[in-house]
Amino acid sequence: MNNRFKNEYLAHTSPRPESGWKAHAKRIMSNPLGQFGLLGLLLAITQLLNIAGIVPRSIMTTIAFVSIYSIAAIGFCLLLGYSGLASLGTAGFMGLGIYLCHYGLQEWQISILPAFLIAGIASIVIGFVVGFVSLRIEGIYLAIMTLALSEIIVKLLKTIKGSTLIIRGVNLNFFGIPLSNNAVYFTIIVVLVMLLVGTANLINSPTGRAMVAMKSSVAAAQAMGISLLKYRLLAFIISTLFAGIAGFFYHAYLPGISPTTATILTLSMSLNILGAVIIGGAKSLWGTLVGTFVIYGFQSIFLQNIAFFNENPAFMMMVTGVLIILVVMFYPGGFAQMLFTFRLWLKKMTKKWRIYRYGIEE
Amino acid sequence: MAYLLGKYVDFLTQRVTFYKSRTSLYADFEVEHLKDIDDAANRKIELRIAKNARLYATADYEASDKKEVFEGTSKLEIAAYQKKLRMRYRIEREKARRAIAKLAEEDKSGEQIKLIDQNLASFEASLAEELEAYKAKRHIAFEKSLERDLSKAKPTAQELEALKSRLTADNETYTAAVNAKREAKRAKFVRSNKARIAKLEGKLNNFQAKLKVQLERIQQDSYALPEGVILRAENLCMFFGGVKAVNDLTFDVKQGEIFGLIGPNGAGKTTVFNCITQFNKPTSGHLYLRNRLDEVVNLNKLAVHNVILQGIVRTFQNLEVVKEVSVLDNLLIAAHRQYQSNFFIHMLHLPILRLEEKVIRARADKVLAFMGLSLYRDWYAWGLPYGVLKKIEIARTLMADPHLIILDEPAAGLNDSETVELANLIRRIRDEYKCTILLVEHDMGLVMDVCDNILAISFGKKLAQGSAKEIQSNKDVQAAYLGAPEEVER
Repeated sequence: MNNRFKNEYLAHTSPRPESGWKAHAKRIMSNPLGQFGLLGLLLAITQLLNIAGIVPRSIMTTIAFVSIYSIAAIGFCLLLGYSGLASLGTAGFMGLGIYLCHYGLQEWQISILPAFLIAGIASIVIGFVVGFVSLRIEGIYLAIMTLALSEIIVKLLKTIKGSTLIIRGVNLNFFGIPLSNNAVYFTIIVVLVMLLVGTANLINSPTGRAMVAMKSSVAAAQAMGISLLKYRLLAFIISTLFAGIAGFFYHAYLPGISPTTATILTLSMSLNILGAVIIGGAKSLWGTLVGTFVIYGFQSIFLQNIAFFNENPAFMMMVTGVLIILVVMFYPGGFAQMLFTFRLWLKKMTKKWRIYRYGIEE
Repeated sequence: MAYLLGKYVDFLTQRVTFYKSRTSLYADFEVEHLKDIDDAANRKIELRIAKNARLYATADYEASDKKEVFEGTSKLEIAAYQKKLRMRYRIEREKARRAIAKLAEEDKSGEQIKLIDQNLASFEASLAEELEAYKAKRHIAFEKSLERDLSKAKPTAQELEALKSRLTADNETYTAAVNAKREAKRAKFVRSNKARIAKLEGKLNNFQAKLKVQLERIQQDSYALPEGVILRAENLCMFFGGVKAVNDLTFDVKQGEIFGLIGPNGAGKTTVFNCITQFNKPTSGHLYLRNRLDEVVNLNKLAVHNVILQGIVRTFQNLEVVKEVSVLDNLLIAAHRQYQSNFFIHMLHLPILRLEEKVIRARADKVLAFMGLSLYRDWYAWGLPYGVLKKIEIARTLMADPHLIILDEPAAGLNDSETVELANLIRRIRDEYKCTILLVEHDMGLVMDVCDNILAISFGKKLAQGSAKEIQSNKDVQAAYLGAPEEVER
């Protein structure tokens, strides 16, 4: 029997019901665990390639730091993009994470898990206190208030220990098993993915909706039974906690930090995170990740390979700066908006191209 | 000690509301889940029937008159091929058109243009030839396959009949099996759900009993509202510095009526509403509400975000729709207090949250259908027309399980026909949701049409209260709106 005619016949008489791997993949990629899990898998594979000797070490270090800063950035994204609160205290809370990591691992010599828990709980407590003090005011005043409190925290930390913070390799262990730099990297990836998934879930839950309502209209939120203080405090504590976690892993990945010269303990850190969230798109987690990459990873991964920039490092900053200005000028919604506009543009162009090629249908 | 006791009572009240909502949640979930079970079973059956139909179609192809089948499918295949050729022709035509446009100025005699036209026509003819060739090729291929097939044995009509009866039997047995399974599943779910609800009710009763004991210990002497009165304002005053926005206002709102509050601009109408919903804490005076549970609540003691728990929901004069989320999400925001799951459940998306979402989303869909907003369900509220935004605000109040709805100028910005529609809508809401409606409005037509009871105020003071006719004939009200007669004369 001739297959060709049979298949044509079957296609027209009884079509096959929809199924298959495509539908399956679509379903998996539609939930945050699938999306961010894939991202984590890619990052892990890059590290494996590095171990195999294909990807250079410098790129790995950049990716690790971008991942660490991303943790702080997603917390800040929840605070700024979804709750509408501007804070400039990220540096202080990251510093807190760094010092707690140092004290936990090096001075008290406990294993990494309890040290992590201590850092997390301390971040929550400090976040609660700072938030309770400062969340009565809004907008730019809140930013100034958090900036001041963050400076106080940093000053205090530097007074407690101003000399170089060093964690010796033996002290970085998981209940006796010493952790190499690669192991710390994998931990960072796992934590990043977990926090991303958690945040994405939160955004799509009643809590996230309450935060958006609060940002958009205070009166409506209150009339609908949303307690302003509760949700503001919640967003603030989450952002503090994420910053603390980022600081913790920053020190775990980079065992030697000098507090007096490190940029991580200055205002520029807070502003960079703010910039990353804004150019990425304040209401998009993927946008935030891209924004963090542009601010922290773009230079050392792409520009450093070009001879001109390698000779004149000052121009690298300029390129990033111009990029940021252009994005904010033409796409106030950041990279997320850019992508959206690009999609619309693509649709329009396809239509135009069809008319150019085939003419208008009569 | 008294403070601790108060906290304990608060805790017990909270537990009671928690278990109450959980109980009703599972009761609502039963309907949704049973629907889901049905859908899954139906889909399974559908798939099996489609598969069997495919099997039969394969056999039928071999048995049936091949030429007929061939002609049937050929039509579609040839149409597809024709479409391809058409696209090719359109490309050529576009090229020719452009070439002609270029030549139009240089070529005065028009010979070259003629040539291009001729070429295009010949190309079209060649395409037609190609189509014929395709048809012929197809036909030859089919003849060959027919020859090949004739040499093979083909299923007889009897065999085909047997196959058909076999497949039908299979369909029936499979459907029966799936249905049996479905029934078992349904029964199992209903049983477990009943057990769960019974358990929750047990806990609920336990807490309720405890609460009753504690309340008796405290012996609150609650304010006695007369029967049928849902809201009472008693000597309500609201001063902003020296401005007396509301001054010694006393009124009663009866259960199930539509109560209108009117007055000239700056009379303090919105301030009264803000006082009721606790956006402004009254300077003095009392506000009492009889809630769904027949308890009398002193509203002044509640925080702004807890007022909704007593069933008081409001809309706003200048629309306060959350514009950066979809219309459905706006309704879900209004149902915020009906979610009993906490922050950690939200972060991990545990099954209980999915269950709550399902039930509440189904309810939101019902409200959207009631308001006629189903079309806008997944639209962003950004950029929707004004009338729709107004409707979203009203839909939001319905979503929050209302007992007393407060509408602040619902007809502002609507045209006449929309206002008439709104009047009907307000009545429908009152009848379907069994709630009381309190509204401020400048559109006298609407107020006189829809309100059972009207209160006129001016500069924060009560002018008159009564039915529409009484208000219309009241001298004070006329003076407040149109100016006093003496002034006019002067």
